[in-house]
Amino acid sequence: MGCVGLLNPVALPTIISWLTYSSLLSMMALGVTLLYRTTKVANFAHASLVTSGAYVAYSIVVVLHPNPYLGVPLAFAVVGGLGLLLFYGVLEPMRRRHSPTVMLMVATLAFDIVLFGVLNILADYLASTYFVPSRNILLSSSDFTFMGQPGIFFVAVGVLSLCSVVLYFLLNFTTLGIALRASMENSSLAQAIGVNVTLMLAISWFAAGGLAGVSGALLPMWTLVNPNTGTVLLASMFCASIVGGLDEIYGAVLGGFLLGFVDVVGTSVLASSIGAWIAFYEPAVPLVVLAATLILAPKGLAGFLSRRRK
Amino acid sequence: MTLDQVILFTVDLLALFSVYLIISLGLNLQQGVTGIPNFGLVLAVAGGAYITASLSTRLAIYLLNVHTSLDPIVNNVTVLQLVNPILRSSPWISIGLLILFLIIGGASGALMGLISSAPAIRLREDYLAITLLAFGEILNVVGTGYDPLIGGPAGTSLPDIFGWAGQYRFYWATLIMLLVAVMLFVYIERLVKTPFGRVLKAIRDNENTAMSLGKDITRYRMSSILIGSILCGIAGALWALYSGAVTPSYDRLDYTFLPWLMVLLGGMGSNVGTAVGTLVFVTLDELIDYFKYSFAPFLPFNVVWLNYLLLGLLTIFILIYRPEGIIREKWTSTPAARPQTGEAKPG
Amino acid sequence: MKEVVTSFGKLRALDGVTLSVEAGSVTLLIGPNGSGKTTLVNVITGFQRPGGGHVYYGEKEITGWSPQRVYRLGITRTFQVPSLFGKLTTLQNLLVADKTHPGESFLKSHLRHLWINHEKETVEKASGILQTLGLAEQSDKPVSVLSGGQMKLTELGRALMSDAKLYLLDEPISGVNPTLALEIFARIVSLRKQFGMTFFIIEHRLDIALKYVDYVNVMASGKLIAAGAPVQVVSDPKVIEAYLAR
Repeated sequence: MGCVGLLNPVALPTIISWLTYSSLLSMMALGVTLLYRTTKVANFAHASLVTSGAYVAYSIVVVLHPNPYLGVPLAFAVVGGLGLLLFYGVLEPMRRRHSPTVMLMVATLAFDIVLFGVLNILADYLASTYFVPSRNILLSSSDFTFMGQPGIFFVAVGVLSLCSVVLYFLLNFTTLGIALRASMENSSLAQAIGVNVTLMLAISWFAAGGLAGVSGALLPMWTLVNPNTGTVLLASMFCASIVGGLDEIYGAVLGGFLLGFVDVVGTSVLASSIGAWIAFYEPAVPLVVLAATLILAPKGLAGFLSRRRK
Repeated sequence: MTLDQVILFTVDLLALFSVYLIISLGLNLQQGVTGIPNFGLVLAVAGGAYITASLSTRLAIYLLNVHTSLDPIVNNVTVLQLVNPILRSSPWISIGLLILFLIIGGASGALMGLISSAPAIRLREDYLAITLLAFGEILNVVGTGYDPLIGGPAGTSLPDIFGWAGQYRFYWATLIMLLVAVMLFVYIERLVKTPFGRVLKAIRDNENTAMSLGKDITRYRMSSILIGSILCGIAGALWALYSGAVTPSYDRLDYTFLPWLMVLLGGMGSNVGTAVGTLVFVTLDELIDYFKYSFAPFLPFNVVWLNYLLLGLLTIFILIYRPEGIIREKWTSTPAARPQTGEAKPG
Repeated sequence: MKEVVTSFGKLRALDGVTLSVEAGSVTLLIGPNGSGKTTLVNVITGFQRPGGGHVYYGEKEITGWSPQRVYRLGITRTFQVPSLFGKLTTLQNLLVADKTHPGESFLKSHLRHLWINHEKETVEKASGILQTLGLAEQSDKPVSVLSGGQMKLTELGRALMSDAKLYLLDEPISGVNPTLALEIFARIVSLRKQFGMTFFIIEHRLDIALKYVDYVNVMASGKLIAAGAPVQVVSDPKVIEAYLAR
């Protein structure tokens, strides 16, 4: 294989790119998988939730001019709040009426559209009031460098690791986490033994929103962001979740890194061997990976790995 | 508004309604009647539009014996200058080509339907919805990247098959589109009332039981997706022909989300409900579009975004307060009335 | 003479069950909850795969056949929890059970004359069954508005539509009033006499069922613990213990 070739210095940027992209994608996919496990719903609003994180962070930068990374905690809180809003304002009333899952999905799609409109309005507002570009925003110039690599690489990987550790600790060693897992496995049973399932769901929506917000806040440090960036990334988020396996939370990280690898490294390798024109089809990569996964390992990587263990 | 403006508005509305009705009927067949959540309708619609557009000029020069060495896609404007005069001079040739193009649109939809049905064999609900949504994205990627299809991001024009009507082209176009929509409505409505349709509903209501009664679930689901996709393909081709040109911009919002909203509004499962929902929605949308600039002074933001806000909020409202939609699915009568009562229940 | 012989290896709910059903008989399967009765039916009809072992229908081996194939062969089953088509009418629920309706084929459905007669016949047959079960009034109502007992009856009616040779009925009279329940069993017996159908019934209502059956099988904890004539089985100490131990 071209393994030796991949390790040479020319390929290092590709590796860095892969790891950065995958870290961000995994954060998004974590939210998607978490929501699917708890609420059994594919959250189409994740697209705009991610974009919201980006614009919240950007707004802070525009208004207060701090270090762009300081926008991250605020993005976590705000988008987490948006997640809560979606849950309590839209999904919970529907769940109380026993709406079928498909309708819940349509509701998230509708919420996504409203949020998309709001983000555009925000973008217009920023542009006209602060005289800054609010589309195709890119903050990478404000990034620090460390060991010759862009700071975002370290931050993205670092934040993902932190989130994963916190999530792992939370789910396995705290009462809250155990209650959360109970709700995921069997919500009616959990309810019967006294778990406040609605609260658990609310927490997971806040957490998923927060994760989306954080990944979104970090996006402008790495790539151009527009109000529709989240929409463009949605297919990749879902692919990462499915490829990793929706049955396990950590599947999102597996999927994120696998998909990121094929997407970034794969396209790069193909482009240099077949020709640059193939880069045009890069958006099709998640779909091809998804199709392959569904045929070869329908339960995703996590499912595949757990089956082999048996 | 003057009478002329009202007429124009209505004609525009009916054209849009026709196209959306066909798509919504296709969705209703899959989701409302068979229970297949197709969140990737855009694949079939765009497929119909792009492939028809791609082949239209090529076929036109072939069939009309136009000799040119120019590329029909790259130089589509110039080539069409040779083609359109022929079409404008003969309504019959134009209609003939129209029928051909619609068949191509339907076939393209069928092809997309085959692609969509692959995951539908094993997947259900969420998994299927996500997968079909992801599949829906692919055509714009191909359309933008693969120039020979529709000329890349710039898109391409289609032959002017309504040109023969001169100044009345929009009226005739709308009439023809409405006619196609009505024919498809009648077809689908009758199909749903056959024993075949009954099995689709059974599969929707309880797949396991349907299995236990010997029904080949896979075949029925695939049929449903195929028919629904053919409809979407025809709609895509119609819209492309009506607009006169396509660009690879057929997006998820317009061609997947909106039809879902329309079918939801009208009542899932009922074709009549779907038609009502589509009409109500299209009217609302056109009214918003028409009047939003008069709201502009009162709104603190650019009116362009008003559609997104209103449509999203409307959908949420319906889902929470009236999820059955305007018209509930009527218990369809069985084609053979019972001899004792001597009457068929209305359905 | 048709026989169904089944024997299984290890399966979570079934543990080495071997039983056979004689053609033209009315056989009962009883046992405490969770003894694997429904699992047995699931395995026979292809809804679950056996861990090991075989299912025979006469001379044919049908182990692992899909539910569709099993149905077409002439084996019908009902479900413990009524599994109806919620948005279809009671009549339509029965109509779907028809095995050979040309109108169900996509292509043929377009030509009405190809199937309209069959449809009329099927409607008549279904209406007749509904009449016998006392559901004639509910014929054009969606089954979702029916009571629990009526749903059970609809499920039974659907089974009767199939003209099968072997009926596997899972608690067909639970929730049904005693008079009607007795009528149903009487009808089962007469069908058996008239057409030589075989009935294999899971039931808890022993007071009613025992009167009409030829043989009884008893399961507990995934195993078959007794089989034979009703009188014999009911006084079998193992059986009494199994029920009391619960």
